[in-house]
Amino acid sequence: MGSDCLTPEWASQPCLMGIDEAGRGPMVYGCLYCPISYQTTLASLHFADSKTLKEEKREELYESLKLDKSIGWAVDVIGPRELSAKMLAKNKTNLNEISHNSAMGLIKRVLDMGVLLTEVYLDTVGDPEKYRKKLSERFSSIKFVVSKKADSLFPVVSGASIVAKVTRDRALREWLVEETGENINRNFGSGYPGDPETKAWLEQHKHSVFGFPSLVRFSWGTCTAHLKGEVEVAWESDETEEGGNGNSSKRQAKLSRFGFTTCESRSEEMESSGKGRCKFFQARKIQQVTQF
Amino acid sequence: MGTIDFRAASDENSIADLSGQVHQVPCCIRFDGSAEVSHYFKPKSTEVEIDGVRMEEAHFRGRRLQGATISLPSGYSGFVLGQASNQNANGKRKACSSTEENPCWEAKAKFDKMTYWNHDNLPSKDDTFLRSFHWFSIAEALHKPVKVEDLVAVSHGEK
Repeated sequence: MGSDCLTPEWASQPCLMGIDEAGRGPMVYGCLYCPISYQTTLASLHFADSKTLKEEKREELYESLKLDKSIGWAVDVIGPRELSAKMLAKNKTNLNEISHNSAMGLIKRVLDMGVLLTEVYLDTVGDPEKYRKKLSERFSSIKFVVSKKADSLFPVVSGASIVAKVTRDRALREWLVEETGENINRNFGSGYPGDPETKAWLEQHKHSVFGFPSLVRFSWGTCTAHLKGEVEVAWESDETEEGGNGNSSKRQAKLSRFGFTTCESRSEEMESSGKGRCKFFQARKIQQVTQF
Repeated sequence: MGTIDFRAASDENSIADLSGQVHQVPCCIRFDGSAEVSHYFKPKSTEVEIDGVRMEEAHFRGRRLQGATISLPSGYSGFVLGQASNQNANGKRKACSSTEENPCWEAKAKFDKMTYWNHDNLPSKDDTFLRSFHWFSIAEALHKPVKVEDLVAVSHGEK
């Protein structure tokens, strides 16, 4: 989503861009760009760090910047399910890397539209200098400024933070809860771990087997804490990490490949590795079972 | 040694057909009992088709699963087994009685289609689960009665 349906007529002038993010699941990356010559006007539009603004004010500024012909914007919305899937994948991607990729995706999208970006301002994600280097290597023609509190220091980043925050708020308001279980509601509060409404929602929507509806990012620390004491699920890809818990989890995870998902002590003994049998069985993890 | 009672399965209508509702997941769920699967586990068909098999996608506990629904090889059926009750419908004691050393199992449901899921890997012919089916054709050859002609052919070959 963004203003990118039409390439602006000022695209060939040197432009600057600000990028900022809102939320952690859904996570929204927003960018705002305009000609460098428009910078002074931009500074007079009273964009401020979106966190310091009231919701109505943010909405108002968002509507006005959308109408501004000298401003372009774009967003990248990464849903909680996509975030958990990446963070809990066999080859895990951490949140910083996902964030970097999202920001770079936005830059690429705007460049591909033919906008001459010469300066891009961003908030830090991980080590600022490493991030700046990574960005400069990918986009050598752009000067990058990676700075803490960029959203309050640079109006162009403040603008981007408004785009991101408003998009996230609206997305959450309309978010489709896919799970159809009874009593699933949408009063999930702000999503901050300390928010009493969020806490109550998590407690209320906890399911002993499935965990939470997919609106919740499972790779979230708060979520793991809430699921302590619920049904344990062991994944093959986590085997090495769980090494400390004794090898029973490892054995059971292997068993599941064969189709045994019950974890009784008896089945634990039979590792479906085909050990001691000929290669044909080993390669197919076929084990002879006489006790069941 | 355990015993499995398949008598209920031989009657077409006596046990439930769970074809397409049986899932094999790449994790161990330390729970035994019923759960609201259809409310939470929502497999979706994707656009991707490999070797004529449609790839499916689902999520469980925040992980992305990629799966495929397969038919069991012809001549084979899947069964859901449960602990057999010691009494039959008429209240009479059954022939097969369950003990600690000789548990007795009973077919509670059957299926001829099931979905198996990989964590972050597209299902393929190289998956162990599908490869284990190779055993069927080998078992068939091994257990086929040997005919006189076969023996003759072998002994001639040796000469």
